[in-house]
Amino acid sequence: MRIASMQYQATMLRSLNLNQGVLTDLTSKMANGTRLLVPSDDPIANVRLSRLNREQAIVNQYVDNIDALKIRLAKNESYLDGMVNDMNAGRDLLVWALDGGNTPDDLKSMVNSLTALRDSVFYNANTRDQEGKYIFSGTETNTPAMTYDPAAPLSLQYAYAGNTQQQQVVVGNGVTQVANVDVSGLQDWLNQINGAIEALKAPGADPNDATTRAALQAALSGTDTGLDAVSQKIATFGGVQNVMATLSANHTNVALSNNIALHDIGDLDYADAGTQLTGYKLALEATYQAYGQISKLSLFDAL
Amino acid sequence: MTLIYNALSGAIAAQAALNTTSQNLANLQTKGYTRQGVLLTAIAPGVGTTSAGSGVQVSSLLRFSDSYKTQQLWRANTEVGAYVEPNRYFLQMEQIMGDDKTSLSSGIDKFFAALNGLGVDPTSSPLRQAVVTSADALSQGFNSIYAVTRNQQISVSQQRDAALPQFNTLLKNIATLNQRIQTAAAVDTNTSALIDERDQQIDQLAQFAAIEVLEQPDGSRSISLKSGQPLVNGRDAGTLFMDTSSGAPVLTLNYGNTKFAIDDTKMGGQLGGLGNYEKNTLAPLQKSISEMAEQLAKKINDQLLAGSDGVNPTGTGLPLFSFNPTGSGGILSIVPGFKASDLALSSTGAPGDSGNLQLLIDIKNQPITLTSIGSVQLGDADTQLVGKLGVDSAQNKSLLKTAGTIRQQAEDDWAATSSVNKDEEAIDLVQFQQMYNANMRVITVAGQLFDATMAMFG
Repeated sequence: MRIASMQYQATMLRSLNLNQGVLTDLTSKMANGTRLLVPSDDPIANVRLSRLNREQAIVNQYVDNIDALKIRLAKNESYLDGMVNDMNAGRDLLVWALDGGNTPDDLKSMVNSLTALRDSVFYNANTRDQEGKYIFSGTETNTPAMTYDPAAPLSLQYAYAGNTQQQQVVVGNGVTQVANVDVSGLQDWLNQINGAIEALKAPGADPNDATTRAALQAALSGTDTGLDAVSQKIATFGGVQNVMATLSANHTNVALSNNIALHDIGDLDYADAGTQLTGYKLALEATYQAYGQISKLSLFDAL
Repeated sequence: MTLIYNALSGAIAAQAALNTTSQNLANLQTKGYTRQGVLLTAIAPGVGTTSAGSGVQVSSLLRFSDSYKTQQLWRANTEVGAYVEPNRYFLQMEQIMGDDKTSLSSGIDKFFAALNGLGVDPTSSPLRQAVVTSADALSQGFNSIYAVTRNQQISVSQQRDAALPQFNTLLKNIATLNQRIQTAAAVDTNTSALIDERDQQIDQLAQFAAIEVLEQPDGSRSISLKSGQPLVNGRDAGTLFMDTSSGAPVLTLNYGNTKFAIDDTKMGGQLGGLGNYEKNTLAPLQKSISEMAEQLAKKINDQLLAGSDGVNPTGTGLPLFSFNPTGSGGILSIVPGFKASDLALSSTGAPGDSGNLQLLIDIKNQPITLTSIGSVQLGDADTQLVGKLGVDSAQNKSLLKTAGTIRQQAEDDWAATSSVNKDEEAIDLVQFQQMYNANMRVITVAGQLFDATMAMFG
C-alpha cells in the first residue's frame, strides 16, 4: 500500500491516543481500587454488585436492630429482676409474719417494709423510658401500666391499665422478635400485698387471728404465683438473647461472605493492572521512539 | 528547427510538472488536499517518416482520487457522529445513577433502614425523626437524578439547535461550490481545489446525518437524506428546522417550499444519535424514575393513611410524600408540615403498636410497574434501571469504537490514494529538474549546431 506522509502522523497520534487513554483509565482504576468505573464497564457485574450492596444494607440493618433489641430486652430484664427481688423480700416478710409467735408490735414493724416493697414494685411497673413512654403497658405506651385507686374496694385498688399486645421487630428476612413485655397480672400481687398490709395495720393484729392469717396466706400464695409469672418472663429473655446472638452471628456471616463477593467482583486485580500498565507504558515509549526515528527520515536530506 | 521546439515543449512540460510537485509539497499538511500529477503525452510528428515527433505536452492535470474511498469516508463519519454524542450523555447518566452513594437504591435502602430501625422502638421520637429525614433525603435523591434527565433533555435540544444552523450552512456551501465547479469546468479551469473543499464540506455534513451523494455529469453533486428527501441539487439547497407549529417540535426539511417531516431517530449521524438517545433512552428513563417515585409515594402514603398515629383512631394517618407529576421543582417532596409524630405506625390505635410499621417495611418487597422494564420489586427497580442503562451504554461504547476504527481505516484508504508523500515528490522534483536541464541542454546543442552552420558562411 502506498503510504502518505501524513499517515505517519495519523498513526502516531492514534497510538498516542490509544495508549494514553488506556493509561488514564488504568491509573484511575488503580486510584479507586475498583475494576468498574461506570456500570457500562461490566453491566452484569454491576447489577450483581448493586444487589449485593442492597442485601448488605438490609443485613446490616438487621444486625443493628438485634443490637438495639438486646439492649432493650436487657433493660427490661433488669427492671423485672428488681421486681423479683422486691417480691422475694416481701415473701420473706410474709413467711415471718405468719409465725404465730409474733406480737402485734412485731407485725406493725413489718407494715413499713411491706409498704415500701409494694410501692417499689408499683413504681417499677410504671417505669418510663427517656421519652416518657411507659415500657410495661404493652402497646399502650402513653398509659401507666398500673393504676392505684384508693377509693376502690381493697381487693381492686390496683389495676392493670395497659394491654397485652406485642411490638414486633424485624430481625431477619421474615423473622420477627417481640420487643416489649407487659406486667399484666402483677396487679393481683399488689392487691394481695395491699390486703396483707391492711390486715397487719389493724390495731391489735394477731398472727393467730383467722382473718389476718387468711390475708397473709393469700398474699404469700399470690407472691408465689406472681414470682412465677415474672420469672417466666425473665426466663424467655434469656432464650431470646440466645436466639438473637445466633441470628446476629448468621447475619454477620452473610455480611462477610457478601463482602468477599463484593471484593471479588468489584475490586481491581492490581497485579494484572500493573502488568497492563507496564505493557501500555512500553508501547507508548516505543511509539515515541519510533516517531522520533521515522520523522528524521527524509529524502530531501539526501538531495 | 524542431530540435529547439521539442526541447522547449519538454522544458515547459517539466516546469508544469515541477509546479504540480511544488503545489503538492506546499499542501503536505493540508487536510483533505488531493494530490495532483501531470499527464504527459508525446506529440505525434507531422508528414514524413524521418521525424520522431513534435515534442511533449501536458494533456491534463491528474487528480488522484477514488470516489468509492471518499464515499466510505463519509459513511464512516456518519457512524461516528451517531455514537459520539450519545456516549457523552450515557457516561454522565451512568456516573450519577451508578454512584453507590448518590444512587436511588442507596436512598431507598436508607429510608427502609430507618423504618426498620424504628421497629425496635416505635415510639422513639429520634428514630421517627430519622424516618422523616431519610424520606426527605430520598426525595432529594429522586429530584436530583430527575433534574439530570431534565438537564440532559435541555442539553440535547440545545445541541440540536446549534447543529441545525451548521447543517444548513453546509448545505448552502455545497450548493455554492456546485455552482462554482460547474462554472469553472465550463471554462476549462482546474477544479481540484474546489472539489477538495466540497468533499470536506460533505464530510462534515455526513457527520450530522446519513446522506446519499450522487455525482452528476456536470460535475455537481446532489445530496439527499438516506430516507430519500433531497438536501442539495445543483445550486439549490434545502433547510432543516424544528417545526413547532403543531405543538410538539418535529424535525422538518424545507426544500423548494415543500416540507418533509423527518424521523430524527432514524436519520443517522449526530442528529440521529441525539434523537435516538433522547427518545429511546432518556425519555423512557425519565418516565421510569418518575413512575418509581409516584408508586413509592402512593404505596407509602396509602399504608400511612390506613394506620393511626397512636392518638387518633385507625384510618386517620397523614400522607408523608407528595408527588408532583409535572416534575418542575422536583418530582418528590415531603408533605409540608409533616412531623415525626404524624407517622401512622399503629394499626390498632395503641401508641406503641407497630403493626402498620411492619406493613410499611414490607413495601420494599412489593412490585411496581415501570414502562421500560415492566414489573419489578421496589427495592430492585433502580438496580435494574442502572443495569439497563449500563448495557445500553456499553453497546453504544462498543459501536462507537467500531465506528472509530472504520473511520480510521477509511481515512487510511483515502490517504493511500490521495494524500501527498514527500519522498515521492522529492523523486519527482529531481526527475523533472533533470528533464528540464536535459531539454535546456538540447537547446544549447541546437544553438551550437546553428552556430556551426552559420560559421560555414563566415
